[in-house]
Amino acid sequence: MTIAAKRWLPHTVAAAGLLVLLYPLAWLVATSLKPADEVVTSLDLWPGRFEWSNYTTALEGVSGVSVTRLLGNSMLIAVGAVIGNVVSCSLAAYAFARLRFRMRKAMFAFMIATLMLPHHVVLIPQYIVFNQLGMVDTYWPLVLPKFLATEAFFVFLVVQFMRGLPRELEESARIDGCGPFRTYWEIILPLSRPALITTAIFTFIWTWNDFFTQMIYLFAPENATITLALRSFVDQSSTSAFGPMFAMSVISVLPIVLFFFVFQRYLVQGMATSGLKG
Amino acid sequence: MPRPRNGRRPHPTRRTVLAAAAAGLGTALAAPLSACSPGNGGGRGAVLTFSWWGNDDRAARTEKAVRLFEREHPGVTVRVSNAEFGSYLQKLTTQAAGGGIPDVAQLDYRQISQYAGSGALLPLGGAVRDKTIRTAEMDGEFLRTGTFDDEQYALPMGRGITGYAYDSAVYGKAGIPTPRPSWTWSDWADANRRIAALGLKSPDGRTVTGSNDGGGNEDVFENWLRSRGGSLYDGQTRLGYTEDDLTEFWTFCDRLRKEGAIAAARDTTQANSTETSPMGRGLAAADYTWDAPYPGYSDLLGASTRFGPVPTAGGRAGTYFKPSMLLGVGAHTRHPEEAARLVDFLLNDQRAGDILGFTRSTPGNRAIAARVATTLTDAEREIYRYAEAMEEYGLDAPPAAPPRGDLAIQTAFKRNYERVMFGLATPRHAARELIDAANRELRP
Amino acid sequence: MSALSTKDPAGAARPADRRPPARARRRTREQQWPAYVFLTPWMIGAGVLTLGPMAVSLYLSFTDYNLFDPPRWIGLRNYTEMLTEDPRYWRSVGTTLLFVVVAVPLKLALALGAAMLLKNLSRGRAFYRSAFYAPSLLGASMSIALVWKALFNDGGTVADVLGAVGIPTGGWVGNPDLAVYAVVLLTVWQFGAPMVIFLAGLQQIPPDLYEASALDGAGPWRRFRSITVPMLSPVVFFNLVLETIQSFQVFTPAFAISGGDGGPADGTMFYTLYLYERGFTASHMGYAAAMAWLLLLAIGVITVILFRTSRSWVFYADEGGR
Repeated sequence: MTIAAKRWLPHTVAAAGLLVLLYPLAWLVATSLKPADEVVTSLDLWPGRFEWSNYTTALEGVSGVSVTRLLGNSMLIAVGAVIGNVVSCSLAAYAFARLRFRMRKAMFAFMIATLMLPHHVVLIPQYIVFNQLGMVDTYWPLVLPKFLATEAFFVFLVVQFMRGLPRELEESARIDGCGPFRTYWEIILPLSRPALITTAIFTFIWTWNDFFTQMIYLFAPENATITLALRSFVDQSSTSAFGPMFAMSVISVLPIVLFFFVFQRYLVQGMATSGLKG
Repeated sequence: MPRPRNGRRPHPTRRTVLAAAAAGLGTALAAPLSACSPGNGGGRGAVLTFSWWGNDDRAARTEKAVRLFEREHPGVTVRVSNAEFGSYLQKLTTQAAGGGIPDVAQLDYRQISQYAGSGALLPLGGAVRDKTIRTAEMDGEFLRTGTFDDEQYALPMGRGITGYAYDSAVYGKAGIPTPRPSWTWSDWADANRRIAALGLKSPDGRTVTGSNDGGGNEDVFENWLRSRGGSLYDGQTRLGYTEDDLTEFWTFCDRLRKEGAIAAARDTTQANSTETSPMGRGLAAADYTWDAPYPGYSDLLGASTRFGPVPTAGGRAGTYFKPSMLLGVGAHTRHPEEAARLVDFLLNDQRAGDILGFTRSTPGNRAIAARVATTLTDAEREIYRYAEAMEEYGLDAPPAAPPRGDLAIQTAFKRNYERVMFGLATPRHAARELIDAANRELRP
Repeated sequence: MSALSTKDPAGAARPADRRPPARARRRTREQQWPAYVFLTPWMIGAGVLTLGPMAVSLYLSFTDYNLFDPPRWIGLRNYTEMLTEDPRYWRSVGTTLLFVVVAVPLKLALALGAAMLLKNLSRGRAFYRSAFYAPSLLGASMSIALVWKALFNDGGTVADVLGAVGIPTGGWVGNPDLAVYAVVLLTVWQFGAPMVIFLAGLQQIPPDLYEASALDGAGPWRRFRSITVPMLSPVVFFNLVLETIQSFQVFTPAFAISGGDGGPADGTMFYTLYLYERGFTASHMGYAAAMAWLLLLAIGVITVILFRTSRSWVFYADEGGR
């Protein structure tokens, strides 16, 4: 293999892979700009005629609720969930990773087991709990569980990361007279930033896309999220709604894309170090 | 790779930001809590919750009708909620299991027995008798569709009827006479064969078939069964047909498909909307469908599209007026009186009727239906006329609501026929499996 | 790589220090109440929102519960019916296993390949990394399910391209044998997370190992076999465990692509989808609960087996060290 080939081959493969990988996304954006008849009949990626009105229709919103309101609701829930998960998972993870206490093994095993249970079967018991608390049709059922570290995946992630931090940190903190609380706040937490940022990004994306829980707990149209709105858009049976539906799809994923581009370098850094700190 | 930054940051920043965020968030999350908590909304008034499924057009009109109701009933506030059908079913089930359904809920025919039989719905017989809910303008037999064990639990909002969207140009080319209300299943089979024999080419180069394959559609089977004097259910607890009936029906469809007279298996399984149906894709000349979605066909496929009758057996029609949706009152409602009034208003108020139009199929109230019908044009007018013509021709009375378990049987029906289509089971074998599965679902 | 050198899942929280028992006991006493303070939110959540509902679902698995009427105790009947009388249960097990066996290796292979490719890029690495990650970002969204359906339908791009090169598959979504692969590809397409983890693992392999090996005359394939594979094995293991657990619970992509019914002809009827159908469409929540507990058990067993076998093929650089 010549030197030039060696340099260019990876780039060629990467570029080719990129085309295949991003084709579905390009298709989504292209279709959102096509007029209704082209959506059904034309296989060309490039729209024959740009139908910008798909976006104006989508922007009108659903059930008299504006898209800005829907996006705002989604944002509120997602941000609440991010704060909740970061705070509660880091607290629990610190205890599991760095402190000794009775029942630690049993509690940890239980937490891991919850990862393996399909969540559909606990849906109704959980609904009963939130209904008893009068929280149905508020955002509490969507956000409160995050403040209670119910997402074992993230606790596990942060535990794995914290375990990789050197022991000596706490030793010296103890000598300086720091208790567990100050050690957590001043030493462990700042060092765990990559894992916490990973938690934040994943929580944001997953909460944003979590149609199921939102569908069960939200009632009033003005409390609806963009994900719910997209779903009711899909139900429109008339042909003319195809373009706007894909326009709505693009609008619904846009915030995730923006969020990712702002935080992506931390994500990679966080993920890379989370499971692997040596 | 960005360089890992493990250095400590000054805490005041982090602390302040977190505190501010938490405070802001707390306020924001609490807002919907105080503004929208269900039940009594303070003061003297009653707050009713009303949920239903459907699209945006229906949403806008329902909202408008409900606001009119509020104006006429000072002190009553109605909170509406809508979702897409699949989500709606799941949501209502969760609510029923977890503490009660909304005060007023739109229900599917298939839900009535389940909800009524387990006490999730308020019996409405009393409200009907004391005329809080007026039924004078409704057909008595049609009202029976909302009953369980002879008690009225829900009232039909609109009525739908099955029919047959077909391309009259292709029918003309094949020399098939315009389908009349008395045409038979064997006429239909011949028509399909003749169309396939024309050898017309679809956009993707395959031969155009006569029709979609309704073998997996429980509604088609029901029409077929009723036209032969049978019924899906015997009362509200038992299956009304046998393994032989079903085997015969599935063999009939299976044979036509194998001959190439009706749509291929893969085109049937892919169909989930007008656009993706064999007819919508130009692969078939007709599609068995309901009246409400028909205008979508004529929009998509143009002026030669017509709405014809479902085939009969020797002239006996198997189709009937089926409630497209019903309205019921939740058993846990704190305002049964107001809830019943809202039901009555949506069903019988003339202005509400004008606002709602045909968004929930032909209104059950005859006076309103006739009044709104005068405003219809084109395809909507065609389906209204079709329903009138079928009524004149003579249809049997609709059955009472199907038993609980019907929803599972319907999906099993589709699935088992799919196994036939792809050669995974013979019609006989699949029919036996379906009967077994159905009897399990119907087990008390 | 100490974080990965765990032998059993339950012991994963074991702090790294190993001290004389007396000191450890003192430490336990000292840290007891602060630990519980840190765990308070988790314990409330676990008790009210997880343990309670889990206990309820365990109880329901021994009952006939239709969601509307009070549950009726029927002992083990749900379990025996599932294991002995329900052919669809076993078909869903088969479909799920097929999915796991195809999707997990494919996704990990693609993730590893992409990571090695990225490592060899002289420039544009950050760009490609983000771009390769984009599918994982959007994959769970409803919108992508719509796109996927359109692409894999009859007359969609995939069928057309394959038809043009002489492989007439027709639409995948409407074909009971192929629909499952549309779901597989949707899952594999989202290989971003394991890719990033692999990439990090690759970058931690000391370059001098490769240099020494190259001096010994080893070709690229031998270097891969004798250096990359063993050095990367903890990361492979980590990805394997997580992906396997997730794949057994695959729900959303199949639900979205099949329109919720696991069709056609049960072609995409995965375990969790069948569980959902039993619980919500057919209103047999007791049966669904029993299914959930058997799945929990099965995933648990498989995870333990994975941890056991890992002893023979996962190489820890710090084994016995510290």
